Amino acid sequence: MILEGILAVCQPLTILWIAIGVVVGIIFGAIPGLTATMAIVMFLPVTYSMSASQGIAMLMALYIGGISGGLISAILLNIPGTPSSVATCFDGKPMANKGQAGRALGTGVVFSFVGTLIGIAILIVLAPVLCAFALKFQAYEYCALALFSLSMVVALTGTDMPKGLISAVLGALLATVGLAPIDSRPRFTFDLFQLNNGFALVVLLIGLFFAESVRKKQDFTIEENVKMKGAGFTFAEFLAQIPNAIVSALIGVGIGILPGIGGGVSCMISYTVSKNTSKHRELYGTGIMDGVVASETANNATIGGAVIPLLSLGIPGDPATAMLLGGLMIHNVAPGPLIYEKNGAVVYAIFTAMLIAAVFMLLFMLWGMRFFVSVLKIPKNYLLPIVMVLCGIGAIGNANQLFDTYVMVGFGLMAYLMIKAKIPTVPMILGFILGPTFEQNLRRVSQLASSDPFYNHPIFCVLIVATILVIIFSVRANLKDAAREREQELSE
Amino acid sequence: MGKKFLCAAALLLVLVSSSFAADWPTKTINIYVTHAAGGDTDYMARQLGAQLEKILGVSVVLSNVTGSNGATCMQQYRNGAKDGYTFIATNTAALNGNEATGMVDFGYNAFEPVAVYGIQSGENIVVKASSPYKTLQDLINASKEKPGTIRLGISMGGGVYIMACVLMNIGKAQFNIIEAGDAANRLTALLGDAIDATSIPYSSAADYIEKGELRSLCTVLSKSPTLLPGQPAASDVIPELKLDTEYALLAPKGTPPEIVKAMNDAVMKACATPEWKKIVNDFSWQDPFYFDVEGSIANLKAQRDLFMSLVPILEIE
Repeated sequence: MILEGILAVCQPLTILWIAIGVVVGIIFGAIPGLTATMAIVMFLPVTYSMSASQGIAMLMALYIGGISGGLISAILLNIPGTPSSVATCFDGKPMANKGQAGRALGTGVVFSFVGTLIGIAILIVLAPVLCAFALKFQAYEYCALALFSLSMVVALTGTDMPKGLISAVLGALLATVGLAPIDSRPRFTFDLFQLNNGFALVVLLIGLFFAESVRKKQDFTIEENVKMKGAGFTFAEFLAQIPNAIVSALIGVGIGILPGIGGGVSCMISYTVSKNTSKHRELYGTGIMDGVVASETANNATIGGAVIPLLSLGIPGDPATAMLLGGLMIHNVAPGPLIYEKNGAVVYAIFTAMLIAAVFMLLFMLWGMRFFVSVLKIPKNYLLPIVMVLCGIGAIGNANQLFDTYVMVGFGLMAYLMIKAKIPTVPMILGFILGPTFEQNLRRVSQLASSDPFYNHPIFCVLIVATILVIIFSVRANLKDAAREREQELSE
Repeated sequence: MGKKFLCAAALLLVLVSSSFAADWPTKTINIYVTHAAGGDTDYMARQLGAQLEKILGVSVVLSNVTGSNGATCMQQYRNGAKDGYTFIATNTAALNGNEATGMVDFGYNAFEPVAVYGIQSGENIVVKASSPYKTLQDLINASKEKPGTIRLGISMGGGVYIMACVLMNIGKAQFNIIEAGDAANRLTALLGDAIDATSIPYSSAADYIEKGELRSLCTVLSKSPTLLPGQPAASDVIPELKLDTEYALLAPKGTPPEIVKAMNDAVMKACATPEWKKIVNDFSWQDPFYFDVEGSIANLKAQRDLFMSLVPILEIE
């Protein structure tokens, strides 16, 4: 059965589809506004006419390529290509600004590969055990998990906490537009049916980051000194990052397993954890490898994590895997408890395809890096209008609605005002993603509370305590940072 | 003058529309799918599109315009181009359900129905295999004995919501209604013991039933799918509990009847092929299921009448 699955993928045509999938995925990932999910949506109908293993292999390749490609624009343009690469901007772009674009890309690519491999390894070995764990997460647990993840906002806010919290709350408020969870009552829709769906994450994301990168005057220059040598870093540096990568990968897999959270959150949480456990936390955000490693390892490890409940339970973990689920069902492969018995060959075909796609991703991205960095040689006044058009296309592509382009421009203006007021935009993204998860599960918990009190849920209690601890420690650390900044200002 | 003008206008209209139909189709046909790629509505629409390309000899392009259980797309294209090159592919549970639950204020009458061209394998009411309930009647009786203790997982607004309303208000069941999200979330909740019963698509439940983890009490279709015969139907217990999700092709209001008829002919031709039978057998465990224009409208009307008769009880206390 294992051999059968491997052989099904090791056909020239299937490998060609995987290669095409990886390349298309990387392109979709790299272009701001086009995401891995969109790549899968677009190519899913193409796979209807393929054999099961071919079609699914291609979809997996699109997924892996799409999540990995996001780092390119995050590092070079400071616009995350996909929501999964938000945290890659934090240190990736500063590295590029220091003339280390090649090094940042190399780090991102290699650790994306490492993260993918760790994710796949855990998927292959531990899937059944972890499924049992994922099922323990119900309304109470999700409610606490959302709170816990939101508490990370405090850590991401830097030294000006009130402004960070303003941003996070604004994000959560933006997410309330549309049909309310649970009772489907329209909120803030002003009778515009286009608003019934609420705002799309990707539209918000490109609006926010676009304003930020266009605004900076010093970006309108040609960056000359871009050097490329190998992957851009030494073997010793690689070894030094291993512990950071392992922790980040575990966070990525853990978040991937839990349906409904996704890569956008996993990269931010892993970045925060990496920063707060580091001995040189003050260097994060100034352009160090550690930040890129944390973000890129985690978001790619999320792939393996998200595929675990997809295959073993038939439950998708994020929008991209929801599409993959559709793709599997259409090929008459029903994911669920019997998938190993009924479609064992397909399962091993999927594992093989993922491994091949990961290797292709590494090769294509390492090879392509020298071309990617040349983007920086294009004068920004030519480059940014093109990026802006691509962003607009991405916004339309989200739901075939021109309306979303106007929304994107609106968010751009909002972000401009936020930057003027020195309000950080990143907490807004976390608030936007997690606000609805929190609200929906809080409302479910309120239905349950009378018959099923919270002390029956140990995971809930642990997470709440952890949330309180995270807040206390983050506030202390932020106060210390603020004090140090003041001292520096005084001594200058 | 008025009469003459009207006559001339009518004549012109007939001429124009008949000439429409005579050389229709000459260019690409656009079908807007109300639900996302990966779901059954999309899959069926794309399979139909591929067949129609062969029959009509022009390209058929399918685009997904998703959101609000299909309401976004229907709202956007119900007054779309009436030239016979714009169609909407949806399912009847969304079309009639959104009207009944008040999400939108229009129904199939806001369109020119072209064809009902398929039927879903349907949802089943399922419980854990370890639970004592063997039939829907058992479950309802148990809920009456201990009111509010049996947790029924639903999602608000959709077909499952209508099901819960019928169970509670006509079947007089006394469940503790828990909002548990979409089908995948309801499955998670049932497996994780957060709810005791729910309704999920047969295709998601099949493996769990076979493995002995879940037990199906009944299908909520009016009768079992042809390839899954012998399942008890929910309507045996409560006659009003019939949730048939059928696939429908609609045209914007005002599309010439000749074109609607011509498109329906093409759909019927596609559905009569052995190739189509294999597609629907494999995908939905059903035999081909399709109607001419009048039959399709009658079918839509029957479901709408049933759903609208339930409106007074679509409330859970």
